[in-house]
This record gives sequence, C-alpha cells and structure tokens, in this order.
Amino acid sequence: MPDLPKKKLGIVACSGEEMAEGTITRLAALKVLEHLRPANTVTICLPLFLAGGEGDRAFARFYPTITIDGCEKRCAARATEMYSGKPAAGIVVTDLIAERGLGKVEGRRRLNDAGLRAVEAAADRVAQLVDESLDERARRWSRSTGTFVEEAPPPETREPVEAACSCGAGIPVSKLAIDGQTVTLIALPLIFEQFRNSGKAPSDDTARDLLETVKVYNPAPAGDEEAYAMALLREYAAFCEKQKAKA
Amino acid sequence: MNNETMNNERRKVAIVPCSGIGKTYGTVSREAAYDVTEDLRPEATQLVALSLLVLGDEAARAAVADCPAVTIDGCKLACATKMVRESGGTVAQDFAVLDVYRRHKQFKPQGIAELNEGGQKLAHALAEEVVAVVDNLTPDPSPERRGEKEGGHDA
Repeated sequence: MPDLPKKKLGIVACSGEEMAEGTITRLAALKVLEHLRPANTVTICLPLFLAGGEGDRAFARFYPTITIDGCEKRCAARATEMYSGKPAAGIVVTDLIAERGLGKVEGRRRLNDAGLRAVEAAADRVAQLVDESLDERARRWSRSTGTFVEEAPPPETREPVEAACSCGAGIPVSKLAIDGQTVTLIALPLIFEQFRNSGKAPSDDTARDLLETVKVYNPAPAGDEEAYAMALLREYAAFCEKQKAKA
Repeated sequence: MNNETMNNERRKVAIVPCSGIGKTYGTVSREAAYDVTEDLRPEATQLVALSLLVLGDEAARAAVADCPAVTIDGCKLACATKMVRESGGTVAQDFAVLDVYRRHKQFKPQGIAELNEGGQKLAHALAEEVVAVVDNLTPDPSPERRGEKEGGHDA
C-alpha cells in the first residue's frame, strides 16, 4: 500500500537568518521533526514555494501545515498561504517569548540561554498543535453509518530520526485533460496506486470515490465535477491497463 | 530589517544563504554567511534572509535589487540564487556548498542544528571564497574600512 500521508503535518519555519528568533524557529522545527513528533511531521524549505515546482507548491494543500515564524512579519504563514495553501495553525516566536516571559533572546548564530528556552517552548507548543490537529483528523465522517468515527491512530515512533526536508521530493502531480483544458492534479499518482492496490476496478462507483479523494487535495469546481469524474475514470482505467501490462 | 537600515546599506553586497533546515549543507551555507557578514566583511556586506524575499518584503527586495548579491545554496534546487533573480536582483556569484566541499574534501560536514568541526572548517573555507568575491565587488584597500579583523580569518 503506498503511503498516502494524510495523517502527517507539515512544519514550515521562517528560518529568518537575520535574527535570533529565526534561528529559534529553525531549531524548534528540527526538534519537532527529529525528536518530538518524528512519525507525524515533514517539512519543506519556505523558498521552494517559489523556487520549486508544482509538487512543492502543493505542500500545504497536501499536508495540513503548522508555521513557525520568528517575528510579526509572519513570512512563513503569509508566504505559505500565498503560494501553497492556508496553514492549519501557526506560532510567532516573539509572541511566545512575551507570553512566557522568557527574557531577551540573542545570538542568531549561537543562542543565549533565553533563546534556548524559547526553542524548547516553541517546539513544545508546535508538538501540542500537531497532536491537536491529529486528534481532529482522527474523527472522520462515515457516510455508511452517518456518524463520526474514531480512526485508530498510527503507532507513533518516538525514536529520534534525522530530519529530512522535502526538497526535490515534492508531492507527485499529474496533468489531465478535462473538458479541453489541462488541469494539474496533486497526489493523483499516489491515489491511483492506492485505489489499484485496494482492488478497485474502474467503474462508476470508483469514479465517484476517486473524485472525492482527489478533492481532498485539489479544487474541483462544482459545475465541473462530472467532467472531472469522467476524466479521472478514463485516466484510472489507462493506469490500471498499464500496470497490468507491466506485471 | 527596516527601510532606513536598508537605505544605509544600499552599497553593501547582499549575502543570501540557503534557509534549509533538513540538510547539513544548508547549515554550512548559513554559517559561512555569518562568517562573512559578522566576522570577515561586516562593513561591506549585509545578510538578506530568504524568507523575506519569498514574502516579497520591500526592503529585502530593494537590498538585492540595488546591490550585487552573492548567493550560497545548500542543494541543487538553488533556492537562494533563484529567489534573488526572481526578486529583480543580480547574482554576482553563486556558490553551491557541494562544489566547495569537492574542493575541500578533507572537511567532512555533519550535523544540522550543530555543525561538527569539519562542517565549521568547510564553512570557513567557503566564507573565504565569498570574501574574495566581495573584495572584487567592493574594491577598498583599507581592511579597516571593510571591517576586516586584524590578522584575518583562520580557515
């Protein structure tokens, strides 16, 4: 089964090199990624929203994102919203320092004690936001029972891991011709793979399910849903044929 | 970075490092940038944060539009170089940490939050290469006016 990472959270730090608070965002993000919530978080470099490809710009639409900003300019939160998708939550380090009375942080290269305390506080706060977001996402609406259902949380890895950024490994995308227009759909290769591995044959029911899953990550204008479903079904049938030929 | 500060720094070379947090080379790029802007050529250079360029911050865009920029990229995606160009700036020289490592293979960098000794040395070697470019861009015979510390820098 391909790993369609619906349950991971994206962490985007401003990393502002010109100020100590930027260093705090970077170190706090690393702490969450490597030690506090390694199984549930991924990251991407903020500049990739502009310098990268469509897969990189899809990041915040694919992963609910928590931004860590150093100052009130909120570069990470605003740029993420502008170029990728609205963040699910965010913190501003200067606000956190004021709230907790952590003292004057100094040393963009080597943080002073107040700076190191701020790293701990920011990382803890972000880990808490990760947990809250995962709790919300664990409750899903079941169409079959008409109730909210609790999904079993994935086993969490508490072992430290080495943080890996998503540079060069953006969300896979596919281009589809829909009503004479070329539309880029993020995550489609993974969705197709997941459907095929679940044994779903191309059919009208599958087309509807495909559309629902695709809509998690992509906008599909209400009036165009039928055209989307037909195009998805056609593409999925071709995908299945191709996989069959490979086998 | 406010507008007034930026105006005062119009003549300075903009040093733009990678802002990556997931790879050692990103940390090396940042450490080299700090070496240049804090220790080696503080009077001739200014550090410009990539996040401000991504947001389109006016002062940061002006800093790279009005001054030559030296970019230091941590990986092949070259975000720093691309962002300076995207922001209307001129890249006088772009450095890739991997290329510098190939020239200094005795310095093996490790660590992200904290660089090992090899990483520190690689950053210093990179900083010296950046300084050579900065000096060409801002010819000034007086080391004091460039902000150079007595005895230079020990790479």
